[in-house]
Amino acid sequence: MSHSLYEVEALARRAARGAGLSWGLAEEAGRSTRWLAAAGLPGPEALADWLSRSEGLPHDLLCPADVGATWTARGGTLCPLIAGAALSDMAAELAARGGVTLGPTGAPLLMLPFVAAAARAGGAALAVEWAGLSAHFGERVSLRATDAGLHAAQATGIRVARRVHPPGGACAVRPGSRGHIPPRAAETLDAFAHRTYAPATPESRLGGAGAGLTDND
Amino acid sequence: MQPKETTRDGPLRPPETVMRLSRLGAFHQSRLSFMRVLLRRLKAEAWRFDRPVFDIDARGVGRAVYCAHGPRRSYSLVAFAHDLPPEERSDRVIATAWDATFALFDGVPGTDDLDRLARNVPLQEAGRVSERELSLSRANRSVRLWDHVVDSLAVGHQPDADRVDAVGYLMRTTAVYGSGKFGAADREAVADRPECRPPFQVEMLSVWLTRAFVMDLAEHMARMRAPATAVPLDPALRRRFGIGNSTGLGMAPFLMTHPALIHNWIAARETALARMRALPRAGAESVAAFHGILARARRHAADWRSDHPVQVKKLVALRADLDRLAAYLEAEGLTGDHPWDRLWRWAEGALSFEGQEQLVSLMLEPHGALVDDLADTMAADEARGWRIDGAMTVGTLRGIIEDVYAWALGVDWAAPEAQARVWYVSEEKLEPRLGEREAEGLEPYEQPLCPGRDAARLHADLAAFSDSDTTAAVLLRHPEHRHLVRRAQIAAGCPYSEIRDNTIAAGVLPIDLLRAKLSFFGACHFDPRSDRWVRINMFQHAPFPHELADGAADDWTYPPPGDGAA
Repeated sequence: MSHSLYEVEALARRAARGAGLSWGLAEEAGRSTRWLAAAGLPGPEALADWLSRSEGLPHDLLCPADVGATWTARGGTLCPLIAGAALSDMAAELAARGGVTLGPTGAPLLMLPFVAAAARAGGAALAVEWAGLSAHFGERVSLRATDAGLHAAQATGIRVARRVHPPGGACAVRPGSRGHIPPRAAETLDAFAHRTYAPATPESRLGGAGAGLTDND
Repeated sequence: MQPKETTRDGPLRPPETVMRLSRLGAFHQSRLSFMRVLLRRLKAEAWRFDRPVFDIDARGVGRAVYCAHGPRRSYSLVAFAHDLPPEERSDRVIATAWDATFALFDGVPGTDDLDRLARNVPLQEAGRVSERELSLSRANRSVRLWDHVVDSLAVGHQPDADRVDAVGYLMRTTAVYGSGKFGAADREAVADRPECRPPFQVEMLSVWLTRAFVMDLAEHMARMRAPATAVPLDPALRRRFGIGNSTGLGMAPFLMTHPALIHNWIAARETALARMRALPRAGAESVAAFHGILARARRHAADWRSDHPVQVKKLVALRADLDRLAAYLEAEGLTGDHPWDRLWRWAEGALSFEGQEQLVSLMLEPHGALVDDLADTMAADEARGWRIDGAMTVGTLRGIIEDVYAWALGVDWAAPEAQARVWYVSEEKLEPRLGEREAEGLEPYEQPLCPGRDAARLHADLAAFSDSDTTAAVLLRHPEHRHLVRRAQIAAGCPYSEIRDNTIAAGVLPIDLLRAKLSFFGACHFDPRSDRWVRINMFQHAPFPHELADGAADDWTYPPPGDGAA
């Protein structure tokens, strides 16, 4: 069964919110996961994995302590959504500076869409590399990756930098119109998303929607 | 207040004037409404219509397919008719069974497609559709009118016109799901097709074909019951049936969750108004047409029924406004320099919001050649402008907040009435709801649908930053402001994207949000059933598919001249 990209994005956004991210970052999680799923990459799995490992951790432990040449998190592992959003926010600076290096980062696949956005906004081709994966965001998006690189639970020494040419042997990534959410990831994301729904009460049943109870007129 | 934006079309009304809930809640359909855009296109491109399947038994159970064939592609409404016991008939979104269920299929469905849809469409939210489907919807009978119409036709009589007018439709739809819901194709998959480019064309096509199906079904049921005596509806009376719709809170957040899109809708309508006001003279033909459409609008206002106290008052005001407008025309005419601008400036001082916003629509009516092109500006690529510009300085960001959310910075957000309500999503139906903050313990579930309060919070935290700091630095420390920063940056370029009112105040009326959106659809006869639920009529008086080739496509939203229906 395939999912619409709307469904992928909505589920990812709600799940990220349910796991404790702010609404704005949850929106980023939605967009990022949608981008990856459209490209046929395991974004929903990466998000499910990362949320399971990071839920409840405070922002201060997950965000870069400093956004100089090397980014590391106080808590040891950078959140790929926070770091990715910061990379996208700082697109112009990134293009001017030439690049940054990230210390230990969870589910790094989730960062790729942010680097794509930074490359478009900064007007400079960017490359991302960690053990087992090289991605390039220029006129088009290209990727060379091993299974381990794609599914990495964590990577370190991640280099995000300007680079004119894609790596040798990379394949073009073309967005499709549907996404796939494997059952296990769907179950995890559904459980997180569920936390954003208010349990019904008799008052809310009657008042919340405001409609009547019968349509026989 | 000075207009902020001037285009070559003339000054636009400022967002502080337009984007108030009370004014949005007084909007009327216009030439730019999506139903009208659709029918103009179908007519201009000579679309053809047929009904390859109509297989419904004497109990009213079966399936039908209605196809619309355009120059490039075909679309098909797949309809399933059911035999629904009265105790299961509910127009709430929590219903689980309906009189009829529908999907709009991309192309012409084969038997396999129909069988697949037969297993899923009747279940609605509990089923699953595919990327071949563009929308999913359902409808229930108006029991009071359905039985009267079928009973009358079966014995060879036409139904009573007064009873037809009292309801205005035989079935009302509730949700019409599009854009990727329940597995359907994403909007992006069809957004580049010319016929899908203006907003909600897929949904409006589905509803228009649904109206045709419903009328056919009523006639078919009468014929099945009494083949010897049954008659079809008189074509003129048939046109007086629209298709109803019942809309609750599910639709309300849309205006807030699609800021760039809403800006484009409002900007198109405001630009159209500005173009009218910039006209140096009124031609004799436009003046005559305006008089004609005003007479029809008065009949429309007279026909409009509601029992809701808020709407009853608004209708009294609207009818008085239209009387005043007629008297103005009698006394002043539309002569001299910039007559539409003079009329408009008079109206701003003389008419209620209902009357003013009705006048916007009426002024556009004789001027299709000057405004219809604006329909092409109403879609939005919402992905553009979605990325936050983190290089923006805090000084600039602060300036945007103080401009766009000026009204919110003056609100005492600590006062209980300022934050009395909470938008949340219910576990039971996964639909947006509105609750009481104090009473129901809903705060942990609050949705980000209160931009004014959130802007005030952001503004307070910005005090700790200097003007030369970057937005990126603010967001690293304050991830909770990321949502609002995005909205503010969008609003900087799209001034009509943000409602300039408190959407969680004790006195907020969600029906204002519903009315604004539904008016852009082209709905008429808004009939609030509570502060958060409204019934409307769609496509009343519109041509049916088989009538489109030989008649006018866009002269139906006000009752026809000389029709004594009032």
